[in-house]
Amino acid sequence: MREAAKGIRRFVRRFWRGVREWCGDAAYERYLRSSARQNEEGRRLSAQDFYVQQVNRRYSRPNRCC
Amino acid sequence: MKRLGRILIWVTVALLGAGALAKIALHRGESLNAIWFVIAAVCCYLVAYRLYSAFLAAKLLVLDDTRATPSERRDDGRDFVPTSKWVLFGHHFAAIAGPGPLVGPTLAAQFGYLPGTLWLIAGAAFAGCVQDFIILFCSIRRDGKSVGQMAREEVSKRGGFIAQLAVLAIMVILLGVVALVVVNALKSSPWATFTLAMTIPIALLVGVYLRFVRPGRVLEASLMGVGLILFVVFAGQWVAESPSWARVFTLGGVPLAFAIIVYAFAASALPVWLLLAPRDYLSAFIKAGAIFALAAGILFVRPHVLMPPLTRFIDGSGPVFAGKIFPFCFITIACGAISGFHSLISSGTTPKMILRESHARFIGYGAMLLESFVGVMAMVAACAMTPGVYFAINSPPSIVGATPDSAAATISGWGFPLTAQAMAGLAHAVGEQTLWNRAGGAPSLAVGMAQIFSNTIGGERLLSIWYHFAIMFEALFILTVLDAGTRVGRFMVQELGGRVWKPFGRTGWMPGILLSSAIIVGMWGYFLYQGVVDPLGGINSLWPLFGISNQLLAAVALVVATTILLKMGRTRWIWVTLLPMAWLVIITMTASYQKIFDANPRIGFLAYANALVAQIAAGKIPAAKLMDTQRLIFNQRLDAAVTAVLALMVIVLIVEALVQWYAILSSRRAPVLHESPYVQTQWAAGYSGVAQGDD
Repeated sequence: MREAAKGIRRFVRRFWRGVREWCGDAAYERYLRSSARQNEEGRRLSAQDFYVQQVNRRYSRPNRCC
Repeated sequence: MKRLGRILIWVTVALLGAGALAKIALHRGESLNAIWFVIAAVCCYLVAYRLYSAFLAAKLLVLDDTRATPSERRDDGRDFVPTSKWVLFGHHFAAIAGPGPLVGPTLAAQFGYLPGTLWLIAGAAFAGCVQDFIILFCSIRRDGKSVGQMAREEVSKRGGFIAQLAVLAIMVILLGVVALVVVNALKSSPWATFTLAMTIPIALLVGVYLRFVRPGRVLEASLMGVGLILFVVFAGQWVAESPSWARVFTLGGVPLAFAIIVYAFAASALPVWLLLAPRDYLSAFIKAGAIFALAAGILFVRPHVLMPPLTRFIDGSGPVFAGKIFPFCFITIACGAISGFHSLISSGTTPKMILRESHARFIGYGAMLLESFVGVMAMVAACAMTPGVYFAINSPPSIVGATPDSAAATISGWGFPLTAQAMAGLAHAVGEQTLWNRAGGAPSLAVGMAQIFSNTIGGERLLSIWYHFAIMFEALFILTVLDAGTRVGRFMVQELGGRVWKPFGRTGWMPGILLSSAIIVGMWGYFLYQGVVDPLGGINSLWPLFGISNQLLAAVALVVATTILLKMGRTRWIWVTLLPMAWLVIITMTASYQKIFDANPRIGFLAYANALVAQIAAGKIPAAKLMDTQRLIFNQRLDAAVTAVLALMVIVLIVEALVQWYAILSSRRAPVLHESPYVQTQWAAGYSGVAQGDD
């Protein structure tokens, strides 16, 4: 029973994280992790600048279909 | 023993699918339960995925998980981001699923439910999914290059330029046609127009929140926005009931067309974060929710399909659009079976985020199967309504008659009983002034969806709310396609213009932004305007033009894929792309020829123009309508020229490719692949991406 509850909790956590990744909510956290891996702390963008740059890039190429 | 069990399960799935398909195909009688459509489609998809896509992955493409993907080699946390396959599946599906698989099958339902359903399933399994999967694979091997760049490198420079021009031309036609679908959905409907108009300030509010209040917190901002949108859907009825407010939001086709043109120009020229991006977030959530709700509704209600398997209109005399079942059923279905536009997505963001090569099968092939299923659901929704109502909503008055009584008599005469009172009652029940002459697919799909939803929750009482929810859902994400497409089209115009005059190519230069936005909006706006004023309803001319251009782009993508496979030495399996490519060339060239030269004025653009010229010469056109008629003649000739140019471009590209193929097959030229060099992955076998990495 406890194992099943644990499994459900893990599934819900993963699902929630997947939704955040899917909609872009976790994009800045992902960027921070990536820039930490690449040792780019000095040139790190603020959340606001990252968001503006990200949407500018995303909507400069076909990203919605017919 | 385990293997035998697995084989037995798959044999059962295959038999179940075959049985359901036989039930659909051979059924004759009163009505057929929609659950058969779901069983047939799902079983066929499972078998296609398990067998055909596995064959493509193992034998044709030889996917290699030891090879580092672009997201690993170039991980920058921005464009190249290693992403779990489920999240990327969601991204990819949200990008490829547009209005096409909803509107196309709805329009093709005029032939009956059978031809469209069969093509949706077979076309996706053997053509659409194959295209998406292989182009995704090719792009992964080339660091996420676009299909145009791949055409330039792998086919020829001229081929690449033609592909770029074809994409721009197709985008212009696409935007004009989808805008026409929105206009026909909002025409004379204060409730729907108010709801959609209110989505603009809501999107602005969400945009400001995401930029200044809580930067990048998309989830909370979108949920807030979705809540507000659901409220304005509900509030729309108060506007419709108030005579003074209803007057403000009751607009005809031409003012609506201009409003949409102005909106798209603003969305393209304004900063992306202010309007375009937040609207896209809202649209993505509502799209996902509505598609899930439709699937659940169909499973719960299990409606009966009332449309016959085949109608008399397979002979080409259809009131929704003219043309025989071959090739127009395939041209009309378009995106639900195969869409050339998907090749732009498969060679855009997705290859830059994919974690492993083997994920391309699930994402490329699997997402297209799901899109095909959306098409099958749209077909069910359209065919579950009374056929007479379907034809009343989608037929122009020039075909069925201008008054409700005469239109009802015409449609009843076709064998689909209908009364003017029944249509008036239905319009009242869904909160509309009229449902006659609302061609474009959106209103009829909304009626079908509303009937399914209201049978699930709320009954007749909530029919009007569900109808306007469905209209809002369709119009919202069509507007998203419009503004995102206009912005991308603007960049294409700037890139092409920049070759002639350098400053024009600078994407941050305000005069360049305004001029290029005006050019792209002017181009698709013209097609929209001609569709709105067309007495045959616009959809009759423009949807086939859209279908032809979309399928031509798919042919371009398959030409590129075939060339790459030949260079990889996969000659033995070349039929995988060659057969769907040949099929697309046959249907698009036949349709192009018929749309240009057919003697029937409802099919052939030139025949229609000539008929109008003859009417003017015979003095049958009153002086007051002379200007309009001359403009109509010009539009028909323009459509003929556009169709011819598109077909010609693809023929040139195919000839270029044939020269390449001959040189490779006859060993006159050593095949040169432009793949990125092999780099071994550093990720452990179980690594499944950042999304799950911090479990």
